[in-house]
Amino acid sequence: MSTADQPQARSGSRLKRGVLLALAIGATLYSVIPLWFALVSSVRPEGDIFRYLSPLSIKSIWPTTLTGASFRTLMDTGFGAPVVNSVIVALLTIVIGLILCSAAAFALGVLQFRGQKFLFGVTLVGFLMPFDALAIPLSQVLSGAGFQNTYDGLILPAVGNGLAIFALRQFFRNIPRELLEAAQMDGYGWWRILFRIYLPLSKPALISAALILFVFQWHAFLWPLLIAPDPAIQVAPVAIAQFSQETFVDFGAIFAGTVITAAIPLCLLLYAQKYFVASIAGTGVK
Amino acid sequence: MTTSVTPAGAPPRRAGGPARRRRPVKKIGGTGLAALLMLGPALVAILFFRLVPAVEAIRTSLSDPQGAFASYARVFADPAFLASVRQTLLFTVLVNPFQILLALGLAVLLTQRLPLVGLWRTLIFLPAALPQVVSAIIWGVMFRPDGPLNAVLGALGLPHQPFLTSKFQALPGIIILVSWVGVGYWMMFLVAGLKDIPGDTLEAAKIDGAGPFRTFFKVTLPQLKRPLLFVLVADTIANFLVFAPVETLTAGGPDHSTNLIMFDIYERAYVTGDLPAASAETFILLCIILAVVSIQFKLLPSED
Repeated sequence: MSTADQPQARSGSRLKRGVLLALAIGATLYSVIPLWFALVSSVRPEGDIFRYLSPLSIKSIWPTTLTGASFRTLMDTGFGAPVVNSVIVALLTIVIGLILCSAAAFALGVLQFRGQKFLFGVTLVGFLMPFDALAIPLSQVLSGAGFQNTYDGLILPAVGNGLAIFALRQFFRNIPRELLEAAQMDGYGWWRILFRIYLPLSKPALISAALILFVFQWHAFLWPLLIAPDPAIQVAPVAIAQFSQETFVDFGAIFAGTVITAAIPLCLLLYAQKYFVASIAGTGVK
Repeated sequence: MTTSVTPAGAPPRRAGGPARRRRPVKKIGGTGLAALLMLGPALVAILFFRLVPAVEAIRTSLSDPQGAFASYARVFADPAFLASVRQTLLFTVLVNPFQILLALGLAVLLTQRLPLVGLWRTLIFLPAALPQVVSAIIWGVMFRPDGPLNAVLGALGLPHQPFLTSKFQALPGIIILVSWVGVGYWMMFLVAGLKDIPGDTLEAAKIDGAGPFRTFFKVTLPQLKRPLLFVLVADTIANFLVFAPVETLTAGGPDHSTNLIMFDIYERAYVTGDLPAASAETFILLCIILAVVSIQFKLLPSED
């Protein structure tokens, strides 16, 4: 009886797997097609973007002619500066943010001092307050203090990052305490222990934290719109949004801008995907 | 459900570690000072970039020329603000279950044994790398009357849709474009949570004769509570703050249907120039977020 059942059961599970695979491919297409459409539209002549949509054919999503014209048009509008600004701002955010966050994580996770629990709570609650909701009042305060249109104004609010601190803290706590005790025997002070022992051992956590800091900064829109509206210091997302709202839109150039703005975080996250996943584990949600 | 996870690559803690940790560490001089110096910058960041603006919002909202609470009276008497709160709550009620159910479904799907499953997972994650404003611009074109979506509808013999130019379809349109970048991101948290569930509990359920649905609801879901709660709270907060798509695509329209509260606050502050009212709205938004998040924590207690 069981031998008679088996083929049926197997074909049933094969059917089930087929359905699941179809679902996975469907979700993948939904995720990838808009990206692909943006990429294709950026490298074909501007007039072709809508031309081949009706009737739908392979030409709708496959360029018949390749050209860099849209990227040239985009660069002529001065889009290079915002991209450079975005990169500078993101890099400085990562460097300053890593120092600030790892020091805070070390104090909260490794040191033992009175009031630690309380200060941990303060850090937790403080960084739980949604930054974007506070962006408008903050821009009132910082504009009055001369931070309008400065790198400081763009960078400083992003260097303290709760997720990065908690990911690093979690990692530090898993480093064997014996190393710390041995270093103490050798007469190391706390700063030397942090920089010479903990940080060199924490490369994966540092990469995760760097990604968290980077993504927060690169995805920011409202804050840079408020604090750095000047075209000379604008970041890429603000510049591309403004460009897309102009009266005479060049869709090719807009897509070229979205491709550039998207490509940098895309490459980074693809390259460091496993660290991003590790950072999720590190924040203690698991 | 407290399988504390070692982040990838963490040196394993040696046996007897926790016991040794209890032992007071031999004093190095100036631990308190070192802690202060190390934690100081983070505390300063919280003070200046979280606390000060929160206090500033409250202060500005109360410093209305017409009296302390005049700004609150003004916004609550304003049908545009009430409509904005209503649309924001409607958006919240729609977008969060949509994103979380989709993220959960995909996470479960993509932890099954399927051909090329790692590739699908990576590709579905791709849009999460994009800033929301980029998603808004791409989907703004997808939704155009002469755009790709209507071309697909036409090819299927279906009537063209107005999408963002319709007051009934604009908000769903915003939901689609924020979910395009959101779902893959939250999915990764749930994938990480699912992979953390010990296989033997699922095995045991199978031996006990539980079907896949029973196993999912009785075994998988309870063990997924912590990541699920995190995703629920973080996603809810993020969706209360949606701004870029509204600013770039719809400017709150048509007919105020996409006038989400962050955009309303922005317009009140910089277009109408009514800072006390904008600050009052900011304070109200913070209270709404706090209330909703507290309810979520109550509904889904994280400790077992």
